[in-house]
Amino acid sequence: MIAARVKPPRTQSRDPIQASPLALQPELLQAFLRLYGTLWSHGELDQATKELARIRNARTIDCPICKAIRFKGAREEGLTEDVVDRIRDGYQASDLSDRQKVVLRYVDAFLASPGEIGEDLRRELLAHFTPAQLVELTAALALFMGFSKIAVALGGLPDTIPVHEQPTPAWPATP
Amino acid sequence: MVGAMSWLPLPATAAGRDPFERVFALRPNLFEAWRDFAALFWSRRLVDPVVLELCRLRVAQLLEARHPQSVRTPEALAAGLSESRIAGLASWWTRDDFSPTERACLRFAEQFVLDAKGISDADAAAVVGALGDAGTVAFVEALAIFDGFSRFCCSLDVEARA
Repeated sequence: MIAARVKPPRTQSRDPIQASPLALQPELLQAFLRLYGTLWSHGELDQATKELARIRNARTIDCPICKAIRFKGAREEGLTEDVVDRIRDGYQASDLSDRQKVVLRYVDAFLASPGEIGEDLRRELLAHFTPAQLVELTAALALFMGFSKIAVALGGLPDTIPVHEQPTPAWPATP
Repeated sequence: MVGAMSWLPLPATAAGRDPFERVFALRPNLFEAWRDFAALFWSRRLVDPVVLELCRLRVAQLLEARHPQSVRTPEALAAGLSESRIAGLASWWTRDDFSPTERACLRFAEQFVLDAKGISDADAAAVVGALGDAGTVAFVEALAIFDGFSRFCCSLDVEARA
């Protein structure tokens, strides 16, 4: 476990975000929640594809909280734990669809060597997604990676957290 | 269609001030929400804009992201950041014109890009000592945006601003 680098705010809130260090910057937090809610709930790309990418990122960055969360909307679209189990190294040989495998290759390239995305991968991405969907997927990856790194860099998380479902981020936020 | 701005085929009507905006604006509501979030670091001056700009550019250098390296943030220039200091950024650790706060933040930023889990307690403590708890949260969130969207530019091969 990485020690907490900053002190969380004093609050009685049971909301894990409002009780986290992110709440030390309330205006930033509100703007981030709007951005994240827009990504998830007002997108052109299906939620199961974004969740696939998010979980692959979480496992690569090794963020305990990101690895543990499952968003409800993606589960309802079919991203069950059985599918999640195949988002591991060796996924190429799994029975994931070609579309899902292309997404995972893109996630890996984004995280490891984003300047070296070759013609083959570009062509495959364009065969499965529209340009607008690819912009959304790439922006999603930027946010997923960023959020995972924020959590890791600020520390204070246990090494493992049980897998649990959360409502899909929405904007305006649902009560 | 217009070409060369990115490997994505963009409509001729793509709107925006530069290649990054024209690519990102393919998802207009997402771009608008991103722009409002990313602007807060500068407009609210949550971290010294010179420190922030040095770290933004260093992150872009490490990732070899052309577009973010071609941009200068007006708030940082207004705060006195010069091109000569930017020119020294690639070897900041050998130079004596970077302050202790800038050095602490650059060290943290580099490790954030390479492996966030590898940030040491000492390196984190140096940033918290310089920026405070709330300032550190803002700084780390800014790094996430710089890192993520430099990779966005690399992945989609977004060309530099003319």
